[in-house]
Amino acid sequence: MSFELNDFEEMMAKCSYCAFCQATCPVFLQDLLETHMPRARMSLAKACLVENTIPRTKHLEEILDRCLLCGNCERTCPAGIKVNDIVVAARKSMYKGKRKTFLERNFLNSFMQKRGMDWLHRTAFAVAKKIGRVPDGILNPRAQTFSKQFTGVFPAKGEKRATVAYFVGCATNSSYVETGKALLNVFTKNGIEVIVPEGLLCCGMPAIVEGDTETAYNMFMHNVRIFHKMEVDAVVTDCTTCGLMFKENGAKLAPAGTPLLEKVQGVAAKMWEATDYLNHLGLVDPPNQLDTKFTYHVPCHRAWSPTLAEAPRDVARQVPGAELCEMAEPESCCGAGGTFFVQHEELSGGIRGKKKAMIEDTGANTILTQCPACRGYLAAGCEEKVVMHPLDFLAQAYGVLDKTPQPKK
Amino acid sequence: MKGLENDLAELVGHGSLKTEPEDMFAYQSDATHYFAKGMPDAVVLPTSTEEVAAVVSYANKNQVPVTPRGAGSGLSGGCTPVKGGIVLDMKRMNKILEINRGNMTASVDAGVVLANFHKAVESQGLFYPPDPQSMTVCTIGGNVATRAGGPRGVKYGTTPHYVLGVEAVLPDGYIIQAGGKCVKQSVGYDLTHLFAGSEGTLGVITKANLRIMPLPPCHRTALVTCKSIEQAAEMVSEIIAAGTVPAMLELLMGMSVHVMNSMISPPAPIDGEAYLLMDIDGSESQVAEDSETLQTICRDMGAMEVRVIEDEKEAKTYWKARSSLYPLALTMAKKVVAEDVTVPRDKVPVFVREVQAMAGRLGLLVGLSGHAGDGNMHPTILYGEVNEEQEKLARQAISQIVRIGLALGGTISGEHGIGLHKSEYLEWDLGGAQIELMKRVKNAFDPNGIMNPGKLWLQGGAS
Repeated sequence: MSFELNDFEEMMAKCSYCAFCQATCPVFLQDLLETHMPRARMSLAKACLVENTIPRTKHLEEILDRCLLCGNCERTCPAGIKVNDIVVAARKSMYKGKRKTFLERNFLNSFMQKRGMDWLHRTAFAVAKKIGRVPDGILNPRAQTFSKQFTGVFPAKGEKRATVAYFVGCATNSSYVETGKALLNVFTKNGIEVIVPEGLLCCGMPAIVEGDTETAYNMFMHNVRIFHKMEVDAVVTDCTTCGLMFKENGAKLAPAGTPLLEKVQGVAAKMWEATDYLNHLGLVDPPNQLDTKFTYHVPCHRAWSPTLAEAPRDVARQVPGAELCEMAEPESCCGAGGTFFVQHEELSGGIRGKKKAMIEDTGANTILTQCPACRGYLAAGCEEKVVMHPLDFLAQAYGVLDKTPQPKK
Repeated sequence: MKGLENDLAELVGHGSLKTEPEDMFAYQSDATHYFAKGMPDAVVLPTSTEEVAAVVSYANKNQVPVTPRGAGSGLSGGCTPVKGGIVLDMKRMNKILEINRGNMTASVDAGVVLANFHKAVESQGLFYPPDPQSMTVCTIGGNVATRAGGPRGVKYGTTPHYVLGVEAVLPDGYIIQAGGKCVKQSVGYDLTHLFAGSEGTLGVITKANLRIMPLPPCHRTALVTCKSIEQAAEMVSEIIAAGTVPAMLELLMGMSVHVMNSMISPPAPIDGEAYLLMDIDGSESQVAEDSETLQTICRDMGAMEVRVIEDEKEAKTYWKARSSLYPLALTMAKKVVAEDVTVPRDKVPVFVREVQAMAGRLGLLVGLSGHAGDGNMHPTILYGEVNEEQEKLARQAISQIVRIGLALGGTISGEHGIGLHKSEYLEWDLGGAQIELMKRVKNAFDPNGIMNPGKLWLQGGAS
């Protein structure tokens, strides 16, 4: 299990203190305090956890927790320092995977490690709702999860162009069930056969964020074991964060030089964000007219595929009547950061406020984005707008939004 | 320090005040962290000139050091709080107050980030040329305080050429409006330009009135591959002498282009020992004409290749990589010390030859990728290893570089300022009499020596 802070010593020494990371760190840009810029975050972690020159304090933990792991700093850093990985490693070193309270940890583990436990998620949500403690933006869990309704092989309509396996992320599975359906409908309509395996778990990313690499590794490998056996052209997910987990983070968890790593890399090589894959193959079925103005919010976890952020624009442009209205900074963070916004309500709200103003300026009524956390959080903040996955948008244009996909008997 | 904390909280409130050790840690230095650090006792993040005045006059009464700070991206240690006390982080004073097309001026708070200002004026077809390479983060207050500049210096000059006035808080709490918005001013001593380059030692710059101009409609980037760095340097002098001045004229060593290629797409050729990177701007016909003239000069002087980069996007990657060269340098060396020696443009070839020879004698790697078009050479020591011996060699090299530059009629800093990093050589450049005079000026503004103590001259402070 990697993400060991000591392994990053050489890389951290490449920091020239140029401060360029101030330009894009959403937390810094909100707080305008240098403590909350990546340069300081990293050098504090190094001083405390590698060099032991400053004590570990509650405030230090707060500073290292006050990071969305959006990765903007990594993309901005000319020296290519992997600040996200360093923050994860620092959290791992601080918490040894045990940051949360016993109850929270159990909840996290049971929910993520066993999808049959989704009743617990719903119960917790209902209780929280009753006492008025549901943070604005949290997703509402459905009783009928995606995986309860849709597993098996969904055959391509017309000539088959490809076969894909579908990794269903937790958000789609329990809340955005319609996006999963949209994927099945849109893919099959475009000649792509989709296989939805049984028994999938959470991708592991929420555990990585906590620095709990052991839990992450266990969940991740469970999924890898399912996918590496499947003979498919691609593995797709509708969630950019799950995709990042498969494409890049998984290999950082797996032990080097083992057959396990080969399995991980095999699956990683086939991983695509679903819209990206569809656009890569091209639409064969022309979408119908949909008169709407839309804008596209680029999720932070985008760098794992160079075409991921262009694909939604490309496919949506093929919908007659749909007009793309770009916002000033499509790539700036919305403040959600998975569940970051729950613990940092004011900070996230401020970041979202800026995004909202940019969205308002476009005059668009629909916001497209592939990340379910962005989607939920933007929807809660922009009540007059419709926020949807690009595949939902296509499903709507095809008129198959309500269609129930049928697996092969 | 509880007393200081309580007093400051009363003045600015807890939201604008930090005193926890981790916060102080984050404010210990600028980009020259390897050179010197200092833990402040408090960081204040003012949101108004009045708050600045309240804090500074409190500090003056109580003899507490005050170090103003912009982005903390400086390359001279200018905002490193070596004597502790209060750091005044100006980044929350960040409003663009006015862009006045009729007068071709703008007014901004000191904490406005340069790139944001660029964006704002350019969206109106206007232009503010100064372009220190940290422009995505550096603040205009910091630019004025250090007389910052960048590649465009060759054609457009540096920050002070655009400053028409500043609002500043003096140590006793007085707020002055030096200069104004007029493009002509002849009223007594030019205090505006005394603040420009004062590095926070006279008071705190809180606002600036800046001159702006129409945005040149056309641009063209060209890369000239040269056989040797000497050849590149000679071309620079020739271009300046020919009177066809590009907007930017950068000299790049082969190894610089090599690391810049991680950001340039498609990558630049790597067969030259040195390169000139130019941007030519103006009207379409002017750009066409100048670009023809410059290409002819370079070809006549034996350039290996002159490549005009037609694609705007591709050209941008060159300039983005150029502005990242300082942080990129650490991907090829264990430690990097960037100097700011500037020489008269006709002396660029001699300077290059002598520095190269000196580096050869010492067995050190000295980079000379800089804004050669304005003589601002940025000689840079690139350490293969960090040890006692290398440090000794580097110190020798730096003092020799400074001597070479000064002997050619140059100066120790073109755009970074003195701060701590170059204070050792201040006397070589200015001589005792000028330093004495500067100390008297300092004394007149700041008799208690609270403003950014320890900077400019060795030991700093008032006389």
